[in-house]
Amino acid sequence: MASWGEAKDSRLIGKRVSRLSGTDKVTGKAKYTFDINRPGMLYGYILRSPVAHATITGIDLSEAEALPGVKAAIPLIEPGKRVRFEGQEIAAVAAITPDIAEDAVRLIQFDYDELDYVVDVESAKEEGAPQIRDDWKSNQSEPRVDERGDIEAGFAEAAVEVEATYHAPVQTHVCLETHGHVAEWDQDNLTVWASTQAVFGTRQNLARHFELPENQVRVITEHMGGGFGSKFGPGVEGVTAAKLARKAGAPVKLMLTRKDEHLVAGNRPSMTQQVRAGATQDGRFIAYDMSGYGTGGIGSGAGFTGPYVYHVPNHRTKKSAVAINAGSARAMRAPGHPQGAFAMDSLMDELAERLNLDPLEFRRLNSDSDARRNRIRQAEYTLGAQEIGWHRRNRVPGSGTGVKKRGIGMGCGLWGGGGGAGTQARVTIHASGAVEAVTGTQDIGTGIRTVIAMIVAEELGLRPQDITVKIGDTEPGLASRGSGGSQTIGSVAPVIKTAAMAAKRKLFGHIAPLVEADPGDLRAAGDKIYAQSDLRLSIPWKEATGYLGMETISEGGEWDENLRIGDVAGVQFAEVEIDTETGLVQVIKIVAVQDCGLVVNRLTTESQINGAVVMGLGYALLEERIMDDQTGKMINPNLEDYKVPGTMEIPEIVSIAYDTDRKITGIGEPPTIPTAGAIANAVYNAIGVRIRELPITPDKILNALG
Amino acid sequence: MENFAYINAANVEQVPSLMSDDWSETKMIAGGTDLLGELKEYIETPKKVINLKSIPGLDEIKADASGLTIGALVTLADIAAHPTIQRHYTVLAEAAASVASPQIRNVGTLGGNLCQRPRCWYYRHPDIICLKKGGDTCYAVEGLNKYHAIFGGGPVYIVHPSDTAPALIALGATVKIVGPNGDRTMLLEDFFILPDVNPQRENVLEPNEVVTEVHLPQPKAHTKSTYVKVRERGSFDFALVSVAAAFEMNGGTCHKANVVLGGVAPIPWRSKEAEAALNGKGITAAVAKQAGEAAVANAEPMTDNGYKVPLTRNIINRAAMTLVH
Amino acid sequence: MSKEKEQNQETAISRRSFLKGVGTGAVAASVAPTVFIDAETAAAAQTGEEINRAKIKLNINAQTYEVEVEPRMTLLSVLRDGFDTSGNRLDLTGAKPICERGECGGCTVQVDGKAVYACMMLALDAQGKQITTVEGLANGDNLHPVQEAFIQHDALMCGFCTPGFVVAAKSFLDQNPSPSHEEIKEGLAGNICRCGTYPFIFEAVKTASRKLL
Repeated sequence: MASWGEAKDSRLIGKRVSRLSGTDKVTGKAKYTFDINRPGMLYGYILRSPVAHATITGIDLSEAEALPGVKAAIPLIEPGKRVRFEGQEIAAVAAITPDIAEDAVRLIQFDYDELDYVVDVESAKEEGAPQIRDDWKSNQSEPRVDERGDIEAGFAEAAVEVEATYHAPVQTHVCLETHGHVAEWDQDNLTVWASTQAVFGTRQNLARHFELPENQVRVITEHMGGGFGSKFGPGVEGVTAAKLARKAGAPVKLMLTRKDEHLVAGNRPSMTQQVRAGATQDGRFIAYDMSGYGTGGIGSGAGFTGPYVYHVPNHRTKKSAVAINAGSARAMRAPGHPQGAFAMDSLMDELAERLNLDPLEFRRLNSDSDARRNRIRQAEYTLGAQEIGWHRRNRVPGSGTGVKKRGIGMGCGLWGGGGGAGTQARVTIHASGAVEAVTGTQDIGTGIRTVIAMIVAEELGLRPQDITVKIGDTEPGLASRGSGGSQTIGSVAPVIKTAAMAAKRKLFGHIAPLVEADPGDLRAAGDKIYAQSDLRLSIPWKEATGYLGMETISEGGEWDENLRIGDVAGVQFAEVEIDTETGLVQVIKIVAVQDCGLVVNRLTTESQINGAVVMGLGYALLEERIMDDQTGKMINPNLEDYKVPGTMEIPEIVSIAYDTDRKITGIGEPPTIPTAGAIANAVYNAIGVRIRELPITPDKILNALG
Repeated sequence: MENFAYINAANVEQVPSLMSDDWSETKMIAGGTDLLGELKEYIETPKKVINLKSIPGLDEIKADASGLTIGALVTLADIAAHPTIQRHYTVLAEAAASVASPQIRNVGTLGGNLCQRPRCWYYRHPDIICLKKGGDTCYAVEGLNKYHAIFGGGPVYIVHPSDTAPALIALGATVKIVGPNGDRTMLLEDFFILPDVNPQRENVLEPNEVVTEVHLPQPKAHTKSTYVKVRERGSFDFALVSVAAAFEMNGGTCHKANVVLGGVAPIPWRSKEAEAALNGKGITAAVAKQAGEAAVANAEPMTDNGYKVPLTRNIINRAAMTLVH
Repeated sequence: MSKEKEQNQETAISRRSFLKGVGTGAVAASVAPTVFIDAETAAAAQTGEEINRAKIKLNINAQTYEVEVEPRMTLLSVLRDGFDTSGNRLDLTGAKPICERGECGGCTVQVDGKAVYACMMLALDAQGKQITTVEGLANGDNLHPVQEAFIQHDALMCGFCTPGFVVAAKSFLDQNPSPSHEEIKEGLAGNICRCGTYPFIFEAVKTASRKLL
């Protein structure tokens, strides 16, 4: 049975290895979809609805088509149909320069009957609000009710109760490379460079749309500038690029603008929840009654977690989604979890205070219901508390003196991330000694390319840079899943590992008779193949592969569930300093202790944890999609008023990639979950006033301090 | 953005003749960091853009007995790094250093920083025709006004985004304007106008007038100054509220206080109330606090910007205490 | 309830025809009879002459490119999408279009030694200046110490912001060779990384600073 072996025997696994794409990325040589320039390429541009709700009555493309330099113009909505949010696609053009394409879009004339709209969640719930979805009875979906235990008995047993309302806003992904594609036809063969998290998913989607066999569509994603859950298919823009390319008879690049990206390319739904919770005098969390909703715009999903992490025997939850005239939600980095965790960890602290218990102690008492996770989490509590200096927190929240007040808080998270079957991969050894690893995954910035090279290199006794990793291309026909749900490494690594093992076995079998050794006695390390029983019998790698002559070894692998694990626990601690005169929250330090299973590349794992914390920090303190009720528009569709963390916001981040099992797990999402709750609790610990609504901006602090 | 004709101006005198007397026809470009933002959003669609960078001599800082003259094309980075400004006009160096980002400060000019258009999110939205853009509604009144004015608003409620303007006003700067009928010089404080004078403009400039230089008088002896800026996002953000404070000290007593606020009004807002509370007093914690309170006594917050009242009060207090410690 | 909504209710449904902006103006400007200025004249044009289109010379990474531009073209658009007058793409795609509004730093290049946003500078305004893009930092295969340090510390993930950060960091160290942690943060405050690699960027800049001293 395959295993990752002991840590002491690992030459590469668990070590810090620089990203293989590093040189290309720091020199500007790395070509992202946005950078692909094809001979004769045109630029696509989409005309979008300026209003939130209307029926389109006519589209006139003639003036746009007549503009010199315009090569194609197509409608994207039929007259009679409704646009239901600002930014919805109306028509598109392709032209010889980006400027001409934009000019042409401004020449498209379209008529519409404006309809009443609603962009505010509370108004959307009211009776008589404009109906947004035809498949719902009102703008609020049928609530999903979940009940465990006996909620009334639970409250009867409770010695203390907390009632609170928590709110988190809509967050947008802000992928720095906007969604987009370059589409090129060669008769009935379509090649698409896509900024996507799923080359195979995108291929399938395009093939279906254009009614082509899948092998006539090729999707390439060599480098990709961030997705965070929002880039799983071609979307309207990808299909449009291909349509324009076909109509114009030339390759078309169509990338979204920054504003488009905010409006149409997905978001994390909001969350509003009212919760009543009770605990016993001895600190058992006994009852939890929560009712909440979120908006995913015109989309249907707006779920969030709760109860979360902590074990509550009696609970009742009622969750629904509210539709508004705004762009649809999409999966965003741990969908549903950061908003649920923020509310849950705030609630935990509120309950602990009523009980006069240390919030950490209260969490320890109400353990995670999963035994493995709980064991790990308890250890993480100890590790994190020590690293942040938990004892330094204010025993009485807000009791610090001076203008600037510090506080410490904590939060928790859990995530699946174990991957699954379905990846095909090949590891090829050439007589020249060259080694290739090929699979249909894609590197969305996580570092999977380097991880693949490390695994193969470890198995074959080579260096990571000796391995040529070919990913992000459907052409070899080796499918893999989309990179989402922190599933990539758990899906890909086992297959790569077993493929490399198989290739090595085959090589050993080939050369064993030639060197008069037992294949089972051969080992690969340090660019050599040697016999374990007789170290004098050692030949350099290239000499060994030279024996292959005209032959090439190319082996596939199998997904082996024993090589990976899911269900990881994470704990974070935050220290903040609040300027009580300005309301500014400065995060001083974050300690993130994250169950990482088996760490493959410690360097890039720490990067992932750092990055997840930074995104969580933005969620806690800065980010919010703001809809204007008067105009139906997003009023901050840019990077000035939609504020993401910059350098000045960055605290000391202690990222502890906590090694637990010798099994691989994905880590892209879990460390973004606990951050907002930890920061919110630290804010409370600092000033003694609880902010139950994200983002925690200076106006809220100043208003709270009165 | 729409295309336009680009014209290099040969000298200052030529500029008025190159400019139209219709605001929408021509624009001037220096650093371009504000103008290009407007052009890209189609907020402005001029037929011609007049380049000022081709004019020699406007990018110099000159010191003489009368004080310091700063050309309109001097970059914010150069102002922030200028030793004389750092030493004698500290508030200006600090204000310039607080503008936007290093990349913006490297090209953004003093003239541009004074003449930049508002950051109001309704104004900057390409599909919203608000009162400032010639429409009939200031959407901030009944809308989202977290970043809007608490002083001097009506009929539009933008805040003036400049950091250098409050600093320069606190230092008693004058500004030189060249127009078709020659040049005129005025106190920078008088350069800015409230929306009830003209809701579509922020200053007295006519479409064919250009700011060419700013003059700072010799600092009075024992003048101390500082700029305190509070922004929501520490990296690259406009002020929620800022205060430029310049005190002429006489021993421990504040002989004359200049307190000019940014981010609170459609113009840089001199707080005469704060100044009155400080003038002739020894700056103690109690006096500083009184100055802050006096400054906001007449504030008129909107629905979402009430927090600016304590914020303004507190940072005036802070600036005053900074200057005496 | 909004004013627009109130009006809608009064008149039942409003009927509108929408022409984005002043489209005819756009056309007029973009297809107006060309006043064509050649490179030499453009560089020297101090005459109040209207330039609607011009051949200009840009010095990029110590190489001279002759390009034909409209006044509205930014330096970024010429680097990424421009052709020289022989019809070859410049193809300098290192600088990235992320916000296109001078808010993110993705398109940072050096102009006369200073970091600027290429998306907020007209190509015409870059004439006669020394432009250095991320492609021009390495000396052959020898990476600039900032580039080496970014790789060493994994100061990049998806890497889309990286060229902008590398140029901004290089420019910053040119001016402040031995910065404090706080100064590094201030010096790079004009760049955004959504992957959140900042902590390792700070480490990289410190390492590069030590190498450069």
